[in-house]
Amino acid sequence: MRARDAGLASCHTCGLLLHLPASGHTHCPRCKSPMHLRKPNSLSQTWALLIAAMVAYLPANLYPVMTVVSFGKSQSDTILSGVIYLFVHGDWPLALIVFIASVLVPLLKMVALLYLLVTVQRKSHLRNQQRTRLYRVVELVGRWSMVDIFVVALLAALVNVGAVATIEPGAGAIAFSAVVILTMFAAMNFDPRLIWDYEGEKNGNAEPAG
Amino acid sequence: MATPNQPDDFDTVPDAVVDAESKGFPVVWLLPLVALLVGGWLFYKTESEKGPEITVTFNTAEGIEEGKTYVKFRDVNVGNVHTVDFTEDLKAVELSIMMKAGSEEYLTEKSRFWVVKPRVGAGGVTGLGTLFSGAYIAFEPSSEGESRKAFVGLETPPIVTIDKQGTRFRLRADELGSVSIGAPVYFRQFDIGEITDYKLADDYSYVDIGVFITAPYDKYVHTGTYFWNVGGVSLSMGASGAKLEMESLIALMSGGVAFETLPEFLDTPVAGEDTVFTLYENRTKALERPITETATFVLRFDGSIRGLSAGAPVEYRGIRVGTVKAIELGADPNNKGTVGPVVLIDIEPQRTMNYQDIDKSKASEEEISEFEKDPVARIGMLVKRGLRARLQTGSLITGQLFVEVDIFPDAAPAVMVTGGQYPEIPTLPNSLEGIIASVDRILDKLEDADLQGTLKNLNALMVSTAGLASTLEKGMPELSAELLATLKTAHSAMATLEASTSADGEIGIELQAALKEISAAARSLRVMAAYLERHPEALIKGKGTP
Repeated sequence: MRARDAGLASCHTCGLLLHLPASGHTHCPRCKSPMHLRKPNSLSQTWALLIAAMVAYLPANLYPVMTVVSFGKSQSDTILSGVIYLFVHGDWPLALIVFIASVLVPLLKMVALLYLLVTVQRKSHLRNQQRTRLYRVVELVGRWSMVDIFVVALLAALVNVGAVATIEPGAGAIAFSAVVILTMFAAMNFDPRLIWDYEGEKNGNAEPAG
Repeated sequence: MATPNQPDDFDTVPDAVVDAESKGFPVVWLLPLVALLVGGWLFYKTESEKGPEITVTFNTAEGIEEGKTYVKFRDVNVGNVHTVDFTEDLKAVELSIMMKAGSEEYLTEKSRFWVVKPRVGAGGVTGLGTLFSGAYIAFEPSSEGESRKAFVGLETPPIVTIDKQGTRFRLRADELGSVSIGAPVYFRQFDIGEITDYKLADDYSYVDIGVFITAPYDKYVHTGTYFWNVGGVSLSMGASGAKLEMESLIALMSGGVAFETLPEFLDTPVAGEDTVFTLYENRTKALERPITETATFVLRFDGSIRGLSAGAPVEYRGIRVGTVKAIELGADPNNKGTVGPVVLIDIEPQRTMNYQDIDKSKASEEEISEFEKDPVARIGMLVKRGLRARLQTGSLITGQLFVEVDIFPDAAPAVMVTGGQYPEIPTLPNSLEGIIASVDRILDKLEDADLQGTLKNLNALMVSTAGLASTLEKGMPELSAELLATLKTAHSAMATLEASTSADGEIGIELQAALKEISAAARSLRVMAAYLERHPEALIKGKGTP
């Protein structure tokens, strides 16, 4: 049985147990914090953030993340061209790390969120535990994708030697950080309890018989 | 599992306060919208900045790198080399270049591309900045002509780019001389332009040279302007001596051309773009009046004409009236059946056009113009009055000859022969030849004289001299006795003189007395000098009483 089935929920802030209506905006009478059984509009908000992240993913990979100007020669690199450069020059372990951290992880994250959203909306009750674990991984791994952005930000700040060498962040870097941040927010807005909601329904149906 | 008593317990649980339903658009959905807008704007921006893709072919892609070499105009990026590839026949490289938006209208058949890299040339060192930044492709836009997408790049940077104002002209020369691309053009020794290109004419009959004269000097080029080559050093040996001409050290190294407009041509119109001029060998040649009217005459000389060359001047009392046209072999009039030197001269009436007749009395202008109208008839008349041609030494050092025509009233009468191809002016031997001829004549006379008779007379003279000598020999003893007596008398006279001058002689005593007097005088002088040394005031005051 879920707290929701009893119409009960405890305040996130002060822990006071309250009766809650099935829907609608409510707040705690004691500490005035907003209260809800499930994150309100969780699916819709996650969808919005995910779509925004997906849109930003295109320029993140198509536009250069940084431009190195050295002795008047300037070279712009996108994430993938950097990976290819590293790979061609024999640094394949490094290439692999960059590829996984900067290309694969954000992509997989978005695919995972998409999968979770779709399954929840279809009221699926299959492999709930795996899906919950997937969600946990998504939330955990999210922040590590910012490594790339930190590198670019550090280099741009440190390497500024006028004509000899200058590093400028490109449009791709902004788009990429937008992807990371948006996916992090999307994961945060997703309510994992929704995964289990429909299992309860199914069980509830079977319950009177049992 | 809900147990019966549990709900009762939960009934005591207070209700949450229900908030008013906030209606409206969920703000979070603005995010994908913003992302879409930003992404779309980025995409639009790059797409709108993308100009036409063009191809430029070069012989080599030295210094050019895919994605890193830029196309610049006035040092502003206007494009980027996208790919570097070979042409299908592998004879050149083809650069695919993404130009920036808005460059379409400047990509025409007159647009030019060239690679800027460090170069050392006649005009100095250029492109040093590219040592660090790498080569780039310079682009010279042009909105004239048909637009196109494929270009052939210039292998060498153009001398004249559109940011230079000025006018281009074409020069025609027989030979290229020391003209090189980038060589300066001088006007009164000011460097005001450059040689832009040169090529052989299609029929190889002349060299076609392009010059560019920067504004505002281009307006000094009139249609009557002369151009000449100033490159290097020109040393010419002529009848007027050796002549060394040199413009400047830069011109010596890189060559160049100069131009000048003579005052009488200043009212000719200012030359327009691509006007064709003749490029003369040197200034002298350029400033010579262009001779269009000539009358050719033949001169036949008896002797050698060594030292005379085609181009040597023909002068009338020091005024140049023509030029030696050619030297050939022809029939020798004095020696039938043999050949001798025949000199063709051009009498050029235009040369004397500018000479003003000062006293106006003798040769009036009409007469001169008459001369110009029919020089052959006039010269024929003058020959009757004694006009002759002869060779003169122009320079003793070089031995160059020139042709002098003058009127010799004493010359043997002759007429102009007009039968042949050209009328013939009679000649005189030249001055040196004349001297040799008179020496020859003297020698001839000597040869003819009666040497034998002269020698006989000389012999007789010798015989009589010998007789005279023997007569002298016979009278000798008598003469010597007389001489001895004279010597004796002289001896006795000397002895008397000696006796009178000895110490106890009359003269000796007197001399001794005189010497004593002199020594006394010297003593008193010494005393006075000593006194004066002590009392110099005595000179003024006199000797004071002691």
